[in-house]
Amino acid sequence: MNKIPLIEDIELFLDDKPSVYAIRENAKQLLAEKKYPTSKKESWKYTNITPIINSNFSPKIHCDCNNDSCTCTKNHCSCDNEKSTFIDIKFCKGRLHIEEYNTPKGLTIKSLAEVLYEDEYKKYLLKSFDISKNPFTLLNTAYLEQGICIIVEKNTVLTSPLNIIYNQNNCDNTQINIHNLVILENNSNLEIIEHFSSNNSNSYLSNIVNEIYLKENSHLNHYKIQKESSKGFHIAYNSIKLYKNSSYKQFYYSNGAQISRNENLINLEDENANAEIYSAYRAKTNSTTDITTNINHKSAHTTSNQIAKAILETNSTANFVGKIHISPLSIKTSGNQLHKALYLSDNATLNCKPELEIYADDVKCSHGATCGQIDKDQLFYLTSRGISKEDAINILTSAHLDEIFALIPNQQIKELYFI
Amino acid sequence: MTTPLLKIKNLYASVDNKEIIKGLNLTINEGEVHAIMGPNGAGKSSLSYVLSGKDGYEVTSGEILFKGKNLLELNTEDRARNGLFLSLQYPTEIPGVTVSNFLKHSLNAIRKYKNQEELDTLQFMKHLKTEAQKLNINQDMLKRFVNVGFSGGEKKRFETLQMALLKPDFSILDEIDSGLDIDALKIVSEGVNSLRTQKNAFLLITHYQRLLSHITPDVIHIFADGHIVKTGDKSLALELEEHGYTNFIKEEK
Repeated sequence: MNKIPLIEDIELFLDDKPSVYAIRENAKQLLAEKKYPTSKKESWKYTNITPIINSNFSPKIHCDCNNDSCTCTKNHCSCDNEKSTFIDIKFCKGRLHIEEYNTPKGLTIKSLAEVLYEDEYKKYLLKSFDISKNPFTLLNTAYLEQGICIIVEKNTVLTSPLNIIYNQNNCDNTQINIHNLVILENNSNLEIIEHFSSNNSNSYLSNIVNEIYLKENSHLNHYKIQKESSKGFHIAYNSIKLYKNSSYKQFYYSNGAQISRNENLINLEDENANAEIYSAYRAKTNSTTDITTNINHKSAHTTSNQIAKAILETNSTANFVGKIHISPLSIKTSGNQLHKALYLSDNATLNCKPELEIYADDVKCSHGATCGQIDKDQLFYLTSRGISKEDAINILTSAHLDEIFALIPNQQIKELYFI
Repeated sequence: MTTPLLKIKNLYASVDNKEIIKGLNLTINEGEVHAIMGPNGAGKSSLSYVLSGKDGYEVTSGEILFKGKNLLELNTEDRARNGLFLSLQYPTEIPGVTVSNFLKHSLNAIRKYKNQEELDTLQFMKHLKTEAQKLNINQDMLKRFVNVGFSGGEKKRFETLQMALLKPDFSILDEIDSGLDIDALKIVSEGVNSLRTQKNAFLLITHYQRLLSHITPDVIHIFADGHIVKTGDKSLALELEEHGYTNFIKEEK
C-alpha cells in the first residue's frame, strides 16, 4: 500500500488498548481507500487542500515544556487576566495541559485520553457523524488521543464560560489533531470559547473535531476565534446533535490561517430544536476561508439561522456553502441563510452556494447574498474629519462585521475577543 | 491688521472632465464670515468638495493657500488636520459606527497630528458629553450610528457638535439650513455663533436670506457659472430675496 500523506507510523502517547487501536486503524484504512478529495468532489470544489497535503506535517509533537512550568501557556492571550471568571483549558502545541480544574458543581472536565477507555462514553464518541465522509475527520480519528471531554450535569446553569485555548506557538511542520466531546444533559447550559492563536508565522495544521450533544432543554453558546498563523492551516469539524427544546448558537470570527475551513453538521433531532450560526471573517490576502454548514431538520418546529459577513482582501478566496435539508416530517420548520460580503479589491473571489433540499410542505426557508465595496462617500466623510484612509477602511470593515458581533449575548466575551 | 486664512487665486476645477469652477478668486480673513449664494447648479457644493479634496474633483489650474500652505498638496485627512472643516449638505450615514467612536477617532487623529496627547475613552467621553450638553444634544445620540435615522435637525446639530469638538480654523457650511425647521435653525445658528472667534472663519453656502439673519455675514458673494459675479455686504442678500439671481447674472454678461 502506498503511503498516505499526513499519516506516519508513530507510537502514540498512550498504551493502545485494542478497541482504540481498532478505531485508529479503521480510520487509517478508510483514508487510504478514499484518498484526499480534489476539486472534482462537490463538497471540496472551491477549497483546494493540496497545499495542506503536500506539506506533509508530522503528527509527532515535540512538547518540551512540562506541565507545571510551561511558559508557552502564559502571556499568549491578552485576555488572560486575573479578573477573568473563565475556566481556562489549555492546549499547547496540540497537547492538553491538565491543570487542576476548579470546576463548579455539575461540571466535569476530563481529558479525552481518559474517556477513550470508559464504556459510558462509547455511545457518544464518533457516533454523531460519519467519519468516512471527510478526510480530515478520518485523519483526526487515525490519531485519536488528544482532546477534552466536558460534561454538564442535568439542571446545571453555569455562569463561568469555559475558555479553551489552543496555543500554536512553535508548531512548525506539525499537525495537531484534537477531538473534543461536549455533553449537556437535560436543562443545562454552558458557554464555550475556543481561541486559536500563534505568535509566529509557522506552518502547521490544526485539525479539530468537536462532537456536541445537547439534550432536552439545554443551551450552548459556542464562541470561536480563529487567529492561526498566516502560514498555518485550520480545519475544524463541528458535529452538533440537538434534542427537544435545545438550542445551539455559534459565533465564529476568522482572521487567520492560509487555508481555513469551519464545517458544521447540525442535526435537529427533535421538536423545537434551534441552531444559529453567525460568522464574521476577514479573508486575508492570498488566503482561502471556507465556511460549510449542513443543517438537517429532522423534526417539526425546528429552526435554523445562518448569517455570515465577510471582508475580502486582495487575491483572497471565500467559500460559503450552506445546506439545509428538511425531512418530510419536519412541518412548520424555518431555515434561513444570508451572506453579506465587502470587497476591498477587485481581485477577490467569493463562492456562495446555498443548497436547499425541502421534502416537507408548510416550511419557511430563505437564502440570500449581497456584495459591495467600501462606500466612497463614507470614506470621504471619515477622512474629511482627519481620520487616515487606512483607519477609515478599518472602521468601515469593523462596522460591517459588527452586525454579527452585536448579536453576541455575553458582553464580557464580546469585548475581550470580538471587538 | 487682517491676516488671510484662505486665499483662492484664479481657480479652475473639473469633475468628470466637466469644468465646474471657472476662474474663482476669493480671500477670507481670520475672524470673517462669508456667505456664498447662487442658483442651483452654479458649482457651490463642488467648490466645497474641491476645498476638502474629494476624489474626482480635479484642480486644473490656480492656487489655494490655506494658512499660507499650499492646500492642493494635502490629502483630505491632512486638510482636516490643518483645520479645515466641511459640513455636508447631506451628511453621510454610516451604519455600524457609533457617533462617539467616530468622534474619538477623529479628535485623536487631529490631536496626534498636532503633537497633542490623545485622549483615552474616559477623558474623551467626558469632553464629548460637555460639548453635547452645550448644544442641547441628547446623550442617546452619542450611542447611535453616525447619521443613521437622524432627523434633518439632528444631522445638522451633529455637524455643529463636530465643529465644537474639533475646533477647526475654517469651516465650510454647505446649506446647513436645509431640512431645518425654524427652531432647529435657531439652535444650529446659535451653536455656530458661539464658535465664532477672532481667529477662525466661516464660509456659508446657502440659498436663503433666512439663515443670514441668524448668522450675520461680513461679506456676501453671488456665485454663478463657477465663479463670483458680485460681492457685497449683508444688504446684498435682501436685494437677492427681492429680485432673484437673474439681474446679477445678466449684469455680468
